[in-house]
Amino acid sequence: MAAILIGLVIGLPWLGAIVIWRTTDDTPHLQHTLAVAFSIAAGLASLALIRFSSAETAISIPMGRYFGDLTFTADGLAVTLTAIACVIGSLAVIFSVDYMHGEGQLGRYYSFVLLFIGAMTGLLLSGNLLFMFFFWEITALCSYALISFYNDDPKAVAGGIKALIITQVGGVGLLAGALTTYSALGSYQVSDLIARAGTIPAGLLAVIAFGFLLAAAAKSAQFPFHTWLPDAMEAPTPISALIHAATMVNAGVYLLARFYPAFEHVPGWTMSVLMVGLITAFIAAVSALIATDLKRTLAYSTVSQLGYMVYAIGAGGVFASQFHLLSHAVFKALLFLAAGSVIHSIGTRDMRRMGGLGKRMPFVRNMFIVGALALAGVPILNGFWSKELILEVGLQGSPIWAYGLMLLGAGLTAFYTFRMVWLVFFGAERDQLHVHNAGSAMKVALGILAAGTFVTWLFFGGLNGLLASTLPFHEIEHESLMELVTAIPSAPATWLALLVVALGAGVSWVRVRGLRLFGGGWLDLLVETSFGFDSLNQTIAKGVNKLAGRLSFTQTGVLSWNVVGILGALLVVLIFLVWSA
Amino acid sequence: MTETFYYIVLGLGASFCAYRAMISKHILPSTLYLAGVSALVTITLYLLGAYEVAVIELSVGAGLVTVLLVYALSVIGEDVVDPTSIIPKPLAFLLVAGIGGLAIWMAYPLVIHPNANGEVLLANVLWKQRALDVWVQVALIFSGVMGVLGLLSEKVHPQGQETQIHEVQAVREEHGIAIQIEQELHV
Amino acid sequence: MTLTPLNAVLFGVVLLLVVGFYGLLITRNLIKIVLVLQILVKAVVVALVLGGKASGNLGLGQSLAATVIVADTIVAVVALALAVQVRRRVGTLDLAKISSLRG
Repeated sequence: MAAILIGLVIGLPWLGAIVIWRTTDDTPHLQHTLAVAFSIAAGLASLALIRFSSAETAISIPMGRYFGDLTFTADGLAVTLTAIACVIGSLAVIFSVDYMHGEGQLGRYYSFVLLFIGAMTGLLLSGNLLFMFFFWEITALCSYALISFYNDDPKAVAGGIKALIITQVGGVGLLAGALTTYSALGSYQVSDLIARAGTIPAGLLAVIAFGFLLAAAAKSAQFPFHTWLPDAMEAPTPISALIHAATMVNAGVYLLARFYPAFEHVPGWTMSVLMVGLITAFIAAVSALIATDLKRTLAYSTVSQLGYMVYAIGAGGVFASQFHLLSHAVFKALLFLAAGSVIHSIGTRDMRRMGGLGKRMPFVRNMFIVGALALAGVPILNGFWSKELILEVGLQGSPIWAYGLMLLGAGLTAFYTFRMVWLVFFGAERDQLHVHNAGSAMKVALGILAAGTFVTWLFFGGLNGLLASTLPFHEIEHESLMELVTAIPSAPATWLALLVVALGAGVSWVRVRGLRLFGGGWLDLLVETSFGFDSLNQTIAKGVNKLAGRLSFTQTGVLSWNVVGILGALLVVLIFLVWSA
Repeated sequence: MTETFYYIVLGLGASFCAYRAMISKHILPSTLYLAGVSALVTITLYLLGAYEVAVIELSVGAGLVTVLLVYALSVIGEDVVDPTSIIPKPLAFLLVAGIGGLAIWMAYPLVIHPNANGEVLLANVLWKQRALDVWVQVALIFSGVMGVLGLLSEKVHPQGQETQIHEVQAVREEHGIAIQIEQELHV
Repeated sequence: MTLTPLNAVLFGVVLLLVVGFYGLLITRNLIKIVLVLQILVKAVVVALVLGGKASGNLGLGQSLAATVIVADTIVAVVALALAVQVRRRVGTLDLAKISSLRG
């Protein structure tokens, strides 16, 4: 049964992509309907899959000697993220019906979205490292295609290429890890790597571990690869919600969580993971403080929250990170889609031109506030429970100064969240903007997600049980929901965190009411260049272009020189063969 | 012993003909030398025991290719091209000598004596074991036929050829001027 | 060092290859290139049959050699068709002047 559901979860979106590709763009109604139908079907299949998850391999197809077996395993980790991807995917598609109403080239849009959903679920369910890499690359391709969807806009195209290049650099790390695993163990199977990691020589294991960390950092926009996600906000907002908040960027966190038992004893690995998460969370939160573009703020916030998840893994709390991943996917998608409603109706992303929209878009305002409260970590909503769990894990598993910085980050989160809410929905109107309220499809998607933020934390017990029983190597303790509910409010750390959050909210209230946007000078410059890393990217790109220009003299266009090249290569190969014989 | 001697003579003769084919200034003598190479290679193949391939080689190499080259020559007309080579000769010599030396070094221990176990009939191999090759060859022959059609197409008058050259040069000049103007505008 | 018959054939093959590669590098006429490619093909054919003889599977060697002859003759046909078209459109067969893929 699990095998059939896995086939449906990967195959339905891909079938939908092909079917929509074949429709013509003069039947937009048909395209919308097909996309919604296929994505809802995939979402239902993924929810059904939860029931059948187990630690055993569900599908195993032999692919010859050099690729190993193509296996799919529906264990708790994979199934949770698959459900998130498919359900939020279907909600984003439903939202797109209104958001992309009247846009051109819908066929291209929906095909890539469905292709992405299928590839993402394939990545999560894959049990073969090489095929995981294959699905990884397909998601990178879809992300590039969708960021550059408005391909007349040079900013969008530049953002897409930047995302593609940086995530590809990470992909190299994943491929290197996969190939090294094969050379050390003779198998590409994920289960083999986790079970037999102890038998791999230390040097090779370090290569695999840090290769995977590289891939995860690049995919999840962690330090030092955090520059691509803010620029990827040129994508249509449902794409930002789906790919860059709820799904693709979680692939990096998933990778780290999946392989944690294999790498936790590699010297320096857990500390590196912790530091990467910590630095990212902090600098992204600082960057969000002064951002003026609504989606950019949300992008920085995503990067920061992903930093929290990575930090949790580094501190040993794999379950805490997955719990926060679930909460974050729901409330971040909610925030993005609500922001999308706002942007769609008024036509600009610049927060300096917004203000007082709450009176004219009451439903969207309420949805956005729910999401913001969850992001800030206000009690009852899911963000509170998961963030407190991460902080508690951090207190136990990481140095005290790291914990302190993360606590400060929680305060900064509250600050920039309420700043965002205030700037967009309250206060005086700063510009004459035409506003219309959200369409019904948008409302449906937003409503479901808002309900989710109130509810998903209740699945703590179920999630814990699922992960504990299907992940034999992760050593996840069994905890129930009641334990969570009693433990967290009684821990002093929680009250400390709540205090910091209230402080952050209060400071934001004070400053923003006076419309001091808290920017200017050195901080602006620092954030503009992403703490120096964007300028690094620019330098590298310029350097490569210049090198290519200088090397163009080798392309003489004359056949004889090409033959020299061919024969020279032959000579090198022969020398190599004779030497190694 | 005499067998070795034959092979040496045939090898040297084939190389000599190939060298003359490469060196000569006009295409027609080169074509005739190529036919000579083909003939000597055929004899070598026959002595090695590959009778069928020897026949194919003779008819294709000495027959078909020669006719093809002569026909192409008749369509184009003799074009005497400057014989000085683009690549400096020492570089070419070194490259080629290196490859040859290494090839002999590697292959020498492998071909010492003929092995005579498990002889399979050519017919068996060609039509049963490597049947896929035959289909590939069929596809290739179709593309070759279309290539011949390309060879035969568009017969242009000798005057037409000259105007074409002039037209091409005129277009190139225009393009060059256009690029110059564009550059000036950017600056 | 005694020279067995098969060794002698090997020397002949490598000599033909060397002449062919040298010609490929040196020549400047597009039709000569097709010609030199044919020399290389003949060397390959002998090499395949030689390999078949040395490993005992002469049938396989011959079958592969026949395939190679067919394939490379088709290559010669198509290359000559291209050369004729180049001559007609660009006006010359000189490799140094046919360099529009430059840069």
